[in-house]
Amino acid sequence: MRRLIASFLLAALIVAGAGCAAVKPWERDVLARPDMAWEPDALEAKRNAHVHYSKEAALPGGGAGGGGCGCN
Amino acid sequence: MKCTRPRSRRGAALALIAGLLFAVKALALGDGQKAPDFKAPSLDGGKGLSLAAYRGKVVYLDFWASWCPPCLTSLPLLEELRKEFPSDQFQILAVNVDQDFEKARKFLERTGVGYPSASDPKGRLPELFGVETMPTSFLIDRGGVIRYVHNGFRKGDVGPLRERIAQLVAAHNK
Repeated sequence: MRRLIASFLLAALIVAGAGCAAVKPWERDVLARPDMAWEPDALEAKRNAHVHYSKEAALPGGGAGGGGCGCN
Repeated sequence: MKCTRPRSRRGAALALIAGLLFAVKALALGDGQKAPDFKAPSLDGGKGLSLAAYRGKVVYLDFWASWCPPCLTSLPLLEELRKEFPSDQFQILAVNVDQDFEKARKFLERTGVGYPSASDPKGRLPELFGVETMPTSFLIDRGGVIRYVHNGFRKGDVGPLRERIAQLVAAHNK
């Protein structure tokens, strides 16, 4: 039984691994498009981060903790 | 039932699987190595370009793409740099890796870049040279040996680059 589970896990790992592909530097054509960015609107993202670190007392954005004075 | 498979065999199988999953990337060509010759179609639809055709000149081989902002910064500056050296001694040869080469053509037309650009949408040449970042450039001496590899590009890079090119051009003129 243990062997069966191990075989299954190994097979799953191989299948999952086959789906991985390293994108080479010269293949970033589509990935470099602005609409592929995590945050398509840079200004909106900055505004959201500003509100976030003001309200959550964390500076900057989701990074290290800040003073939390709420004055930003 | 007790498993009788030898441990070393199991280890070898695991190593093989790990090897397949994390395939080792090709090593980048560097200083002192011979630049491999290549032939590639020209981006402007003209006759094919070959590195060997420029043997005897100092060659700056530049890999670029229209979707890469530092590449777009570099091209007009390289065009200026090209004009500073005699054309029979220094040559810039670009390799464009755009899949949609119309964008690249339009950019070249707009900026008036005069040096030849090869088109390699399948990325055969960056693979051959082991390009690790975009843009990457190889400064090749008259004998076809790589003397310097430049990764990335900023405006301030032109000065040091000019010095390196001048040194190589002058070295062969002595």
